[in-house]
Amino acid sequence: MNSVFIFGLLIALMLTGMPISIALGLTVLSFLFLLTHVPIEAVALKLFTGIENFEIMAIPFFILAGNFLTHGGVAKRMIRFATSLIGHWYGGLGLAGVMACALFAAISGSSPATVVAIGSIIMPAMVQQGFPKRFGAGVITTSGALGILIPPSIVMVIYAVATGGSVVTGPSGERVLSASVGQLFMAGFIPGIILASMLGMVTFYRAWKNNYPRMEPATWWECLEAFRKSVWGLLLIVIVLGGIYSGFFTPTEAAAMSAVYAFFIAVFVYRDLKLRDVPRVLLGSANMSAMILYIVTNAVLFSFLMTSEQIPQQMVAWIERSGLGWVEFLLIVNLLLLVAGNVMEPSSIVLITAPILFPIAAKLGIHPVHLGILMTVNMEIGLCHPPVGLNLYVASGIAKMGITELTIAVLPWLLTMLVFLVIVTYVPELSLWLPRMLGML
Amino acid sequence: MFLRILDRLEEILIAGLIAAATLLIFISVLQRYAIGVPFLYPYFYHFNLTWAQELCIYMFVWMAKFGAAYGVRTGIHVGVDVVVNQLRPEIRQRVILFGLFCGALFTFVVGTMGAKFVTGLFFTEQVSPDLELPRWIVFLCVPLGSYLMCFRFLQVGWTFWRIGELPQHDAGHVEGIEAAADNLHPKAIR
Repeated sequence: MNSVFIFGLLIALMLTGMPISIALGLTVLSFLFLLTHVPIEAVALKLFTGIENFEIMAIPFFILAGNFLTHGGVAKRMIRFATSLIGHWYGGLGLAGVMACALFAAISGSSPATVVAIGSIIMPAMVQQGFPKRFGAGVITTSGALGILIPPSIVMVIYAVATGGSVVTGPSGERVLSASVGQLFMAGFIPGIILASMLGMVTFYRAWKNNYPRMEPATWWECLEAFRKSVWGLLLIVIVLGGIYSGFFTPTEAAAMSAVYAFFIAVFVYRDLKLRDVPRVLLGSANMSAMILYIVTNAVLFSFLMTSEQIPQQMVAWIERSGLGWVEFLLIVNLLLLVAGNVMEPSSIVLITAPILFPIAAKLGIHPVHLGILMTVNMEIGLCHPPVGLNLYVASGIAKMGITELTIAVLPWLLTMLVFLVIVTYVPELSLWLPRMLGML
Repeated sequence: MFLRILDRLEEILIAGLIAAATLLIFISVLQRYAIGVPFLYPYFYHFNLTWAQELCIYMFVWMAKFGAAYGVRTGIHVGVDVVVNQLRPEIRQRVILFGLFCGALFTFVVGTMGAKFVTGLFFTEQVSPDLELPRWIVFLCVPLGSYLMCFRFLQVGWTFWRIGELPQHDAGHVEGIEAAADNLHPKAIR
C-alpha cells in the first residue's frame, strides 16, 4: 500500500514537469508528514549528510575535466586523426565520425556535447562530399552516446554511489559487495570498444552498399602528425584508468588530477582556451555538478525512505516467490529502463532504480558490475530515441532536421545498439573479463 | 542593484569553490608522493594534509547548495516535460507555475528544517573530525542555500507569470562551436 502511494505520488509530481530532484524531495516530505512516525530529525540529518562522501566528489571533478577539453579545437584534432587512419575505407568520413566520437567520448563525459562537437564539424563536411544528410545525422547521434559507456563516465560513478553502502545478500545468503568506480570503469572499456566497432560496421556496410564517397589514403607521416596533435587529449583516459588501476590515486583523486591536467592542456598546450575564459568554464561545470549533486541529495533521501519502508526487501521476496530466473529478470530490467529512458535523463533514472534493482539482482546471482554496465548501455539507448533523447534534440539542431525524420535516420544504428544490449545482458563475461584479468574483482 | 550583487556573489562563490577544491586535492596528492622522495622529504613532511579530503567535501557541499540555487536561475534542473508540452497554453502555464511553486515550497521547508538544525547545533560543542570546525558552520549552507533557492524559484515563477518565459539551459553547448537549438524545456507561453 505504502509503496503504491510513494511511487504514485512521485510519478504524478514528475509528470507536472517540475525538476526531478524537487519531485523526489516532495514525495519524501509528504510521505513523512502524512503517513509515518519516522522522526523527522533522522530524515533531516540524512538531507545534510547525504552527500558527505568522498566518492561522490568524483562527479564535479570529471565534469570539470570534460568541460576544459570539450572544445571545438580538440574535436577537430580527433576528427583529423580518425580520418587519417580510416577515412579511406568504405564509409569514409562517416566511419571516421564513429571513431572520432569514441575518442572524444573518452575525454568528455557528456553525450550531447560529443554529438555537437563532432557533429557540427563532420556533418557539413559529409554533406559537402555527397553523403545523404540522414546518414551523417544517424551516425553521429548514436555514436555520440558512446560517451557514457567509455570511461570516465559520470553515470557509472552515480551507479557506484547509488548502490554503495547497501547491505545485500547473494543467492546462498552471503554478503555481496557493491561495485566500485574503478571496477566499473575497467568493465566499461571492452563493451565500449565493441559497441564502437558494431556501429562502425553498420556504417561500413551501408556505405559499401550505397557506394558513398571515400577519402584519399593519408600518408604515414600525416597519420603520425595527426596522432601527435591529438595524443595530449587522449592521455587523459590513460591518467584516469592507469592511475586507478596502479593504485596511485583513488577514483576521486584521479578525477581531480585529470581536471588539472585538462586545464593545463587546454590553456597551455592546445591554447584553445584563453585564461580569461576559465572562470566561465568553472561556472558552467559548477552549475552542472550542483544540479547532479542536488538530485543525488534528494535521491539519497528517497532511497532512505524506501529502505525504511522495506520496499527493496518486499520486491526481493516477491521475485523469489514468483520464481523468476535471472534471464527473465534482466529482460524486465531492460524493458523498464528503456521505458524510463523515454522520459527521464540518465542520472535520475540510475539514482531512482539502482537501489531497488541491485538487491534483487544480487539475490539472483547477477554480478553488481554486470548490472552497472547493463544499466549504462540502457541509458545510452535512451539518449538516442524520442521523445526525450537528448542526443536527438541536439543533433536535430545541428543537422536542421525534424525529430521524426531524424528518428528514421538513426534506426539502423539504434537497432544495432539494441542487439548490443542483448549481447551485454546475456554475456556477463563481456563486462567482467577485463576487471577479472586485472585482478580487480 | 542588490539583485545584481547577489547574482555576482553566487557566481563567484561556486566557481571559486570548484577551483579551490580541485587545487586542494591536486596539491594533497602531490604532497603525498613528494614525501616518498627522499631528498624532498625534509621540505614536505611537516605539511599535514589529512584534512584535505574533509575540506574538499565541505567545499563541494557548499557548492552544491548554492549551485542548485544558481541552477534554478539558469534553468538547468530538468524534469519530465513530455506531458506538459502537449497541454493547451493556459493549462500549461498553470501546471508550470504549480511546479515552480512546489520547488519554492520544498526548498522553504528544507531551509526551515536546516535553520532549526543549525540553531540546535550552535549550542553544542560539536566539531568536525579532522578540521575541528564547529559543525554549525559546516551546515550553515543548508538554510542559506535552500532559502536562496526558494527565492530563485519565486523569482523565476514571477517572471514566467509576467512575461511567460522560462530560463533555458543549452545542454549541447561546446566552446568554439556555434550554439545549436534545444527544445528540452517547457516551451514559453507567448
